[in-house]
Amino acid sequence: MLLQINYKSGKPVYLQVVDQIKAAAASGAMQAGEPLPSIRPLAEDLRVNRNTIAKAYTELESQGVIETIPGKGCFLRPNNSPLKKEVRRKLLIDEIDQVVVQAHHLQVAPDEFLNLVRERLEVIEKKKRANEQENV
Amino acid sequence: MSVSESPAAIEINGLTYNYGRAEAVHDLHITVRRGCCYGLFGRNGAGKTTTMKCLLNLLRPLNGSVRIFGLESARNEVEVKRRLAYVPDYVAFYPWMTVRETLDYLASFRAHWNSEIEKDLLERFRLDPSQRTSALSKGQRTQVALIAAVCPEPELLLLDEPTSGLDPIVRREFIETVIGAYQESDPGKRTIFVSTHLISEFEGLIDEFTIMDRGKAVLTLGADQARERYQKICARFPQQAPEIEFKGALQTRRNGRELELIANGGSAEILEQLRKMAPESLTSEALTLEEVFVATLK
Repeated sequence: MLLQINYKSGKPVYLQVVDQIKAAAASGAMQAGEPLPSIRPLAEDLRVNRNTIAKAYTELESQGVIETIPGKGCFLRPNNSPLKKEVRRKLLIDEIDQVVVQAHHLQVAPDEFLNLVRERLEVIEKKKRANEQENV
Repeated sequence: MSVSESPAAIEINGLTYNYGRAEAVHDLHITVRRGCCYGLFGRNGAGKTTTMKCLLNLLRPLNGSVRIFGLESARNEVEVKRRLAYVPDYVAFYPWMTVRETLDYLASFRAHWNSEIEKDLLERFRLDPSQRTSALSKGQRTQVALIAAVCPEPELLLLDEPTSGLDPIVRREFIETVIGAYQESDPGKRTIFVSTHLISEFEGLIDEFTIMDRGKAVLTLGADQARERYQKICARFPQQAPEIEFKGALQTRRNGRELELIANGGSAEILEQLRKMAPESLTSEALTLEEVFVATLK
C-alpha cells in the first residue's frame, strides 16, 4: 500500500494517513493481520515528521482499526469496531450529513445522489472482490 | 518532572538585535515545545541567522532574553551547548584534517557519540573517511556537519539554512536523515529548530512555524492550521466576474469571467457567497506552506 500526502487538500497530514489506511482496509487492499509499515521508513518515505505517523497510528488504534503488538509492530485488525452500534451509526450520520449538504450546494438532486452512493458502494465492493481473488 | 511541565526547548522573549544602526531583529517572541519541529521562515536578510546566533550566544542580544531548556544561553553556555547541535549554512572545517579526523575531533567535545549512526551515515552519503575536508564539495561538507550534529543525539538540533545551495538529491537525503537518524530514538525528546527559505522540502516535517520579515515576526501558526486557514478559491462565471470585495480575502485577481482569491480564514463563507452568484465552476484548495509564505509577504 502506497500512501500519498497532498498538502493542498487542507486536511491535517496525520488524518490523511488515517483515512488512506482505513480506505485500504475497506477495499481489501490491506487484509486483517497484515503489518503496517513501521514508523521510521514510512516517515522517511513520505518525508513527514515521525510524530505525525505516530499520531496517525495512535488514532487508528483508538478507532480499533489496527493493533500494536509490542516488539513486533502494528497490524490491521479484523473489521470489528470496538464502538457500540449506536455510536458507529452516529459517527456515520455526521459524515453523511456533510455529504448531503455538499450535494445540495453542488445541485445534485436526491435521486441522483442516491444513485451515486449505490454506484460508489459497488465500486468499492468490486475492488474488494478483486483484492480477495488476488489473495486466494 | 514530566515533559509537559518542564521548560520549553526554546523561549525567545522580546529579542532585539542591531548591527550598528541597522535593526536586524525586533521584539521577537518564539516558543518551541519539546519534541516539536519548528520552522523559522524568512527571505534573505529577514533576521533568521541573527536569531540563530543569539540562541547560540554567538551574539549578545541588545534587548530581550533567550532561553534553551529554561537556561539562559549567555550564563549557562556549556550546559546549553552540551544539549544541542548546530548545522550552519556555511560549514568550515580545518582543511588539513581528513573526514575521519574531523569527526573524531568533534566527537572529543561530546560526552556521547553514537558510532553506529556515524557508520550508517558515512555509507549512506558515500563519504570517504580518508579524504581531506579541503577537498569536499559544499554538499559533502554539509553532510559531514550533519553527521557531527546527529551522532551526539542532542535534545535540540539547530539548522540554519541547511539545504541552501545543495543539489536536490543531497537536500532529500539531508531531510530523510533528520527524520530517520535524528528522530530515531525517543522522538518526543528530539526538538528541531530550522531556519530556511526553501520551505517546500521541509513541508512535512514542520509542526509549527514563524514567518519573519525585516526582523519582525509576521505570522506564527501550526502547519496544519495554516493549510486549513489559507485557501485559494477560483470561480468562473458565465458573465463578467463580480466586482465585490470579500471579507478575509488577502489577494483578489480578476480576469474577465474568472476570479481567483486567497482567503485567510473564512473560506467557507466566501465559498457560500460565491455559490449564490451561480458560477460555472468553483474550486478551492489549501495553500502549501511556501504559498502561505509568499501570500503573507506580498
